[in-house]
Amino acid sequence: MIKCVVWDIDNTLLTGVYLESGADLPGADPALAGVLRELSARGLLSAIASRNPPAAAAYVQQLTGADFAAVECGWGSKAEAVARIAAELSLAPDAIAFVDDDMLERAEVAAALPDVLVLTPEEAAEAPGWPEFSPAVITAEARRRSQLYAERRRRQAAANEFGGSRDDFLRHAGTQLTIAPAGSDDLPRLHELSVRTHQLNSAGEPVTQADLARLLDSPGDTVITVRLADDFGDDGLVGAAITTGNGRSSRPDARVPAQRLVVTVPLIMMSCRALGRGALDALLAWLCRSAAADGAAELRVPCLVTERNVPMRLALAAAGLRAEAGGVAPDGRAIFARPLTGELPPLADWVTIE
Amino acid sequence: MLAQVTGRPELLGVPAGTRLFGAGVGLDSLAGTLLLRHVQRRYGVDVAAEDLNLDSLETLGTLAAFIAGRI
Repeated sequence: MIKCVVWDIDNTLLTGVYLESGADLPGADPALAGVLRELSARGLLSAIASRNPPAAAAYVQQLTGADFAAVECGWGSKAEAVARIAAELSLAPDAIAFVDDDMLERAEVAAALPDVLVLTPEEAAEAPGWPEFSPAVITAEARRRSQLYAERRRRQAAANEFGGSRDDFLRHAGTQLTIAPAGSDDLPRLHELSVRTHQLNSAGEPVTQADLARLLDSPGDTVITVRLADDFGDDGLVGAAITTGNGRSSRPDARVPAQRLVVTVPLIMMSCRALGRGALDALLAWLCRSAAADGAAELRVPCLVTERNVPMRLALAAAGLRAEAGGVAPDGRAIFARPLTGELPPLADWVTIE
Repeated sequence: MLAQVTGRPELLGVPAGTRLFGAGVGLDSLAGTLLLRHVQRRYGVDVAAEDLNLDSLETLGTLAAFIAGRI
């Protein structure tokens, strides 16, 4: 049973970043302000863990009318802040939920405190309906979500205890990753992914179901899905990529312009729940190998370069892609590319291609 | 720092020439971004903002040199 929810401020309780807003302070997220009120009505506590000056917490308190049982405003690790709050309120970690829009903060807290219920702001908006928050009515869907979180916590606890490398753990956990072409049934989930993925998304903008349907039918384009499961649970469709093959790239600066087969990837996206489980690496490895098998000479991935999607850039770098000359264009994108000769990224043995 | 973000204390003694993305360390997006955040917090150097290709992450040595050149 959750007794206290610990909230981040920037882009979580507030719709923007407190310190970046100058005189124009962001407002409170209306859904989460509602959750604060509901939790308080049920006798649950709320606390703050934020990298902000204490004035930020006071501001949120003023905006929402919420009473925070503990406030950790400082510049250190969120995991330590949550642990201090638990100690201060004499609560065990499994009585705490932590809400943060940043998947890396979530990952850090989950790794340090596997018993804490770690949620995105979207999940927190729905969480009052889950068994852990003892609502008056618990729906079947809410029960299922709650079970998903228990699976995640068990996986994290097992990962913490495991003594080998990340790949060794993934193998030990019976990880199954399936890469398959998308079908029309996948469209709603694919659209939802394009809206919800921010930090593991190369395009930085959503794709409509209509556009996805068009791509499914278009002979020059492919939509590839990634499904992830292991002994702890099945996460279903967690990621996707759109490729456009048979593009011809000419090099005007070469003495003899060469027409080469190029595969371009206008979109790669992955759910944050697949982070740390080799899914993005597997997708990129497969994109390289499949393009090479089709006779392509180069793989190109246009990628929006922002502070938020550094994880995507890391995966691209690890797969051997480098930014083309010209760097970042006015639209904020750079083209990351690699030749498809020589050593291609390895594909783990738990990956199935359909 | 590397041992801390990967949760693997055996990485405390790796030589500077060890490849970060290679099989030895196997830095993935999660551990990599946590590493860059720790670096930013400890040294005030934003590697991701200054290194588009993240070439500085080739080895432990190249990363250390990148940071040292910017402190």
